[in-house]
Amino acid sequence: MLDDVEDLLRAARTPAPSAEAKASAIAAAMTAYDRDSEKNPASTQGQHAANRLLGETLRTGRTIMKKWLMAGTAVTAALAAGYVGAGLQTRPMGLGTPTAQIETMASAPGTSGGNGAVTMDSHGPAVLRSAASPDEAVSVMMGPAREIAPYPSPVMDRMPLFEDRDRIKEIATGGLKSVAAEPVSTFSADVDTASYALVRSQLNMGRLPHPDTVRVEELVNYFPYDWPLAESAGEPFRPTVTVAPSPWTEGRKLMHVAIKGYDVVPEERPRSNLVFLVDVSGSMNTPDKLPLLKNAFRMLVSALAPEDTVAIVTYAGQAGTVLEPTPARDRDAILHAIDSLQAGGSTAGEAGIRAAYRLANAAFVEGGVNRVMLATDGDFNVGQTSDDDLKRLVEKNRESGVYLSVLGFGRGNYNDQLMQALAQNGNGTAAYIDSLAEAQKALVDEAFSTMFTIAADVKLQVEFNPAAVSEYRLVGYETRALAREDFANDRVDAGDVGSGHSVTAIYEITPKGSPAEMFGELRYGRKDAAGDAADASEYAHLSIRYKLPGEDKSRLIARPVTPDDEVADIGEASADVRFSVAVASFGQKLREVPALAGYPWSAVREMAAGARGEDPFGYRSGFLTLVSLAESLDRTR
Amino acid sequence: MADREDPILVLARNGDRAAFARLVEANYDMFYRVAYRHVGNRQDAEDVAQEVCVRLGKAIRSFRGDCSLSSWLYRLVVNASCDHHRRTRRAREARESFAAEPLSACPDEAANEAAERLWEAVRMLPEKTRQAVVLVYSEGLSHARAAEALDCSEATVSWHVHDAKKKLKAILAAPEGAIHA
Repeated sequence: MLDDVEDLLRAARTPAPSAEAKASAIAAAMTAYDRDSEKNPASTQGQHAANRLLGETLRTGRTIMKKWLMAGTAVTAALAAGYVGAGLQTRPMGLGTPTAQIETMASAPGTSGGNGAVTMDSHGPAVLRSAASPDEAVSVMMGPAREIAPYPSPVMDRMPLFEDRDRIKEIATGGLKSVAAEPVSTFSADVDTASYALVRSQLNMGRLPHPDTVRVEELVNYFPYDWPLAESAGEPFRPTVTVAPSPWTEGRKLMHVAIKGYDVVPEERPRSNLVFLVDVSGSMNTPDKLPLLKNAFRMLVSALAPEDTVAIVTYAGQAGTVLEPTPARDRDAILHAIDSLQAGGSTAGEAGIRAAYRLANAAFVEGGVNRVMLATDGDFNVGQTSDDDLKRLVEKNRESGVYLSVLGFGRGNYNDQLMQALAQNGNGTAAYIDSLAEAQKALVDEAFSTMFTIAADVKLQVEFNPAAVSEYRLVGYETRALAREDFANDRVDAGDVGSGHSVTAIYEITPKGSPAEMFGELRYGRKDAAGDAADASEYAHLSIRYKLPGEDKSRLIARPVTPDDEVADIGEASADVRFSVAVASFGQKLREVPALAGYPWSAVREMAAGARGEDPFGYRSGFLTLVSLAESLDRTR
Repeated sequence: MADREDPILVLARNGDRAAFARLVEANYDMFYRVAYRHVGNRQDAEDVAQEVCVRLGKAIRSFRGDCSLSSWLYRLVVNASCDHHRRTRRAREARESFAAEPLSACPDEAANEAAERLWEAVRMLPEKTRQAVVLVYSEGLSHARAAEALDCSEATVSWHVHDAKKKLKAILAAPEGAIHA
């Protein structure tokens, strides 16, 4: 019995890792590898051009992702990759011919001497297979990867690669602008909130998010604020401006600009009747599939109105109704049902889709949004019926007013043709979901597709008065910067603002003559800059340009920022201002903005805790939890 | 081992993605195995292995060959495993104080129950000792190579291994279920 300890230790066998885990680990490694190459400043030369284009390019990238479903195959993927590169207008990479790609590979091994290249070639196909998806395959072929979007991994979306460049640029300039040199700051409105969900999921997984994935303005805009509303849709915004001493730097001030879109009367929003049809077959059991899908559904549920209904049907082995149509008011029951979803078994898609339609019809809302949302990785086994019968089923239901949306998850064996056919016949959209950000877009936008834009191409411009302000730093909006001359150019587009959206921008400014000034006085031209001394009564002039829906010509809202907007202490500012400043502090600390290096997490928490307000949905308490998480993770780093 | 630089390593370090992918692919099983011995269950081991992959992607370009590639990779995975161990310690202690259940794999996962129980005990050993035991007994490294991977002297590894054997023998000699208690 008393075997030697050594033998016994050696006898233990390790259960095999799952193939999915291995694949996703390798994908994550490739992402990290590519990001590391991005970090190399030598590779970013000349890539800062056309800053504003970044946002647009990303949006194009998303559209293309959606279209994947329509055409699938490596060819589309190759086009997509090529388009992203070309859209940046930095280094058009020209997909070229296969020969050209092989040359790229062949030129790389130069340093190692001959045999490296030979082994690599003979193993090439294996690498391609492990990389699994078409666009990964393309990137592998392309050799040096810095021109290509990074791999989606369970925890990272596609965007950081582009932002890396901005970040490098920002560090180079310190983010601080001299009013004498650049008196005007121009940027596009951004009502995206995706970054917050990403940051949250990272922190909940026990990791600090990568600084480049943190977009401060998106974190700030994630929270609902009660900024004063404009009276009517005719003039959609009324800016609220607050100037207060900066909590971050002694001797500086914050200039806080908030606008909220004219809100539609709630009755105008139609009710939604949603049926989630979820593929829970064994293949969905990887982090980028079922768990991501659950998070996506949770986000959607919290966005629903109390009387909207949700039902959940699963298919795997046999189809089952997990949740009968349940009003969103009963949030716990829905969340519980989502939590209970587990992967296992094979797929019986057809039975599932029939069950889903049955429920959707049972809870049908006349004049509302009636939608079946099919989430799958494409292992869609239709059972006895042919694809054509299935399409007819989808078509028939579309005519009766129940639409189908297809959400694709994971990479690899995606049955794109069938999914494409189903989505087209269902009058719905198909979206390929590789990240929470994408899920938010596809799911939440989809569910409220009736939600409307109240102002398009919203641009903000602030002109600082050199007699009162010597320096400024815009918090966030790195990817949204516009050229000064683009402000009044109606052909240059910008972000749209929907009903009830709010946009918050925070500047940290250095008053003229403050000891916190970083830029030295200029020897020449001072007189010009100062103008006449009476001007010092205004800090800045704020202009907002927007187009009403359907109009081509932009309108202008403008107002000066004066000492009337100023409070003597940040504590006197409204709770919403204080809370948004706390979120901005949080975001900047995660982004490792040097200006906040000395600002403690505890101060972030205190300010947020004191500004929680009513917080009916618990968003702000949730934020406090994240601050504590970030604080402890930051300590152990 | 002052081995000649692996061409794959050189390529990967110089930014060749295909070579890097092969490097990761070739070593993943080792990452997973070592992680498994440290954390004791498949899911955590997969997480740790993935973390190692990510660290490798970030760090490969800065690997300057101060030690052999394999030692460096072992070091990465050992460190990641111990980070994980530390990170989860609080949660683990809380759980253990409520229910004294073994945390290890379910019996059908483990081929040899006695061996698994012993490894469960290994996971309770001090960090450095645990690291040495994993490399020497699970990975079959010589004390010298384990020493290189752990960046310590060979004598230190031998001492840790000796110490571990003494403690584990005591546990083996204890009545059945003593570990579970």
